[in-house]
Amino acid sequence: MNNPWKFLTAMVILTTLLSALVGCGAQPPAQPVEPAAEATEAPAPAAAPTEEAAEKEVVLHTNLGAEPASIDPNLAQDTFAINSLEGMFLGLTNINNVTAEIEPELATRWEVSEDGLVWTFYMRDDVTWTDGNPVTAHDIEYSVKRAIRPETASPYAYVLYIIKEAQVINQTDVSSDTYDIDTLGVKALDDYTVQFTLEAPASYFLAISSLWTLRPVPQWTIEEYGKDWTEPGNVVSNGPYMLKEWKYGEHLTFVKNPDYYAADNVQIDRVEVDIITDQFTEVALYESGELDIAGDGPGTLPSEEIARIKADPVLSQELHEGPRASTTYVGFTMTKPPFDDPLVRKAFSAAIDRETMVRDVVGSGVPATQFAPVGIFGAPDPEVGIETDLEQAKAWLAEAGYPNGEGFPTVTYRYFASSLEEALGEALQAMWKETLNVDVNLESQEWPVFIAGINPETPLGEMPEMWRLGWGADYPDENNWVYEVFHCTASTNYSRAECTEADESAQQAALETDSEKRKELYEQVEALMFGEEVRAAPYYHRGYTILAKPYVQRSYPTFAPVNWDTWRVEK
Amino acid sequence: MLRVIVRRLLWFLPVFCLVTGITFVTMHSLPGGPFDKEKTPPALVEQMEAVFGLDRPLHEQYLTWLGNVVRLRFGPSLASRGRPVESFLLPGLSVSAQLGMWAMLFGLLIGLPAGIVAALGHGTWLDHGATFVAILGVSIPAIVLGPLLYWLFGLELGWLPVAKWAELSDGIVPYFKHALLPAITLGAGISAMLARLTRASLLQVLHEDYIRVAHAKGLAPRVVTTRHALRNALIPVVTYLGPLTAAVLTGSLVVEQIFAIPGMGRYFVTSISSRDYPTVMAVVVIYSVIIVAANLGVDIVYVFLDPRRRDAS
Repeated sequence: MNNPWKFLTAMVILTTLLSALVGCGAQPPAQPVEPAAEATEAPAPAAAPTEEAAEKEVVLHTNLGAEPASIDPNLAQDTFAINSLEGMFLGLTNINNVTAEIEPELATRWEVSEDGLVWTFYMRDDVTWTDGNPVTAHDIEYSVKRAIRPETASPYAYVLYIIKEAQVINQTDVSSDTYDIDTLGVKALDDYTVQFTLEAPASYFLAISSLWTLRPVPQWTIEEYGKDWTEPGNVVSNGPYMLKEWKYGEHLTFVKNPDYYAADNVQIDRVEVDIITDQFTEVALYESGELDIAGDGPGTLPSEEIARIKADPVLSQELHEGPRASTTYVGFTMTKPPFDDPLVRKAFSAAIDRETMVRDVVGSGVPATQFAPVGIFGAPDPEVGIETDLEQAKAWLAEAGYPNGEGFPTVTYRYFASSLEEALGEALQAMWKETLNVDVNLESQEWPVFIAGINPETPLGEMPEMWRLGWGADYPDENNWVYEVFHCTASTNYSRAECTEADESAQQAALETDSEKRKELYEQVEALMFGEEVRAAPYYHRGYTILAKPYVQRSYPTFAPVNWDTWRVEK
Repeated sequence: MLRVIVRRLLWFLPVFCLVTGITFVTMHSLPGGPFDKEKTPPALVEQMEAVFGLDRPLHEQYLTWLGNVVRLRFGPSLASRGRPVESFLLPGLSVSAQLGMWAMLFGLLIGLPAGIVAALGHGTWLDHGATFVAILGVSIPAIVLGPLLYWLFGLELGWLPVAKWAELSDGIVPYFKHALLPAITLGAGISAMLARLTRASLLQVLHEDYIRVAHAKGLAPRVVTTRHALRNALIPVVTYLGPLTAAVLTGSLVVEQIFAIPGMGRYFVTSISSRDYPTVMAVVVIYSVIIVAANLGVDIVYVFLDPRRRDAS
């Protein structure tokens, strides 16, 4: 050991040994991760497809952007999961992601009782699960009951509360066993007819019937594998695509389901979905040709990249932009002075230069004055609410007793840590200073701290006067917006608003069966909530910015998840 | 020697309990929970917490966790609805350790010789050149170097893949093609640190009296450098390598993000921000085991480098 080079070698060997030790430790548990290890029938050389196969097989390479938490339809919550399961599980109905209209899917027709309480769906009888079993009304009944059982702990159970007894059963204490699941308002009348009984008439129930939360799931598979039933190798599905592989944190592989009832219309044979979290890397992989699409996961590209893409002669031709059913707003704590004065809230809303925000800060989207974007059923067109008007903003603040911001206390705007939110916060701060001459503190918090810190149980003294939240459509109906997000008792009511005529109208609109009257009611609600009471200042509807190679023919996710089965790759 | 090892391993038990206990309490006292989402009503958040046992007293939860860890089970990940933590963390560790090993190798192969050359040629252009490169390596962060490398070699020249990881089973060539850029990105900082440390340490030793004595005895300069100076100079370097090994083998968030590598590094950050308590705990356990092992390794190497330690044991 007198030679330093010997020592060096020793060090290297030591390092290698250490890593080998670690590597070995990792091996055995790695096996149960991929129960599909026996799926050797097709080795799926993702990195290097053989030339013969490549000629025939149509493959799409895209990126999800994050790991789905769970692709179990009853439990799915994040967009990454919803985009993944959309191709695997069919709904009673489907939302057309361009027109937002509700189309038949498993159900070919449906009818509503006179009083609007009983909905009957008639299902097609030619759909099978990937294990050969038929997809029946019993699978739907099982799924709805599973989603509502408290021990399932479905984060989306609340969208089904309109179903009779759903809320009562779902909110029974988990440890108690005191509910009777058979009182739930869902029943398979025969193999292909399913009937829902509602708590109250709700014309938006048709939109709800498209949601992933109540899509049929295979009882026998769930009972056999428990929570592992969605793992590749175990999972049984019924849609155009099947999950073939899921390497955690790396990628998912979906292959076309040959037994799908409309398989002839599905052109893409295999969808390789990467999980790449860094969006700059995603764009680089797109440019190198390894990805056919960039930006589909979160629906947007980083704003820093958009300027470069727009200046590039090739990339600019491959950039697709448009609106999404999603809104960002400044929320007001309506019980905290000086924001208990509607004039102050009006002034702060009118002082936001929405055009500048969209053009210079976000780089995508459209200016907003109301909560739900046009296209959502019931969303007023043209928009109502408070428009950007700097002179009016000054006048309102003066009327509230703070001419030119004099005597106005320093207030706080709180957002969650992200580079976009920071830029937006700084722009808001500057706009409020310039127009209203008021000082606003910016406060950035990590997401869990942020969301826990603005809930209605937080003491008023710890609440910021203003905070950032947003909303994206679950289903294209105003009920999912003004009622589920801002109603004084039925929603979380982050703004701490008292119940007014607006809440009454929102409730009334939910029960109204005449669609024209519903639209009128929602117009009132939007005008009251965001134009008069100003519970929040919506300032932009988010947009999508997605890069797609010219050989990809596809639709864009305006209202609903992506549907690979309707896309084409024409190389 | 054996006694040292056994004593170290026994010491690990109280250290383990302390580290995990403190982490457990700290994590649970952070505001916000794993199920707090914009769209989830508080009643449903409580329901999920009850289903995953988060409503039980903290000491009970800790004891349950400890009982599971003894059987090498890290519990259900809360961020993914109960997927076993080890099912994604251990494969991630395997990838991170491989990448870390190549980065270490790169760091050692470049850093040590560069430091030695710089010290021996003190004041010459060799020294200045090596020092300049080392400072460059220390001051260019991975977040700049990574994209620069994939832009140059991936997009402009097209020689190497831009990002992503390949397993050895995908073939040896794809494996190294994918590992090269991230290993350099991760290893550049290491080699620069090592070069600076080696140079400084060796320079100091070269001015010691016993080196002059060795020269005076008429030993060949090469022998003086390798047998007398370098061995002593490497002690601080080896000390630095212990914790470095642990850090590098468990992955780097930045490098793994930039190159879309399915390693373990990301979980150091994401598990905390998503309040995924079992994953946080597992990360802490793995990290502390590796750091204890690495420090033990360092101590063993000391024995070879420093005769006084040999006598002591």
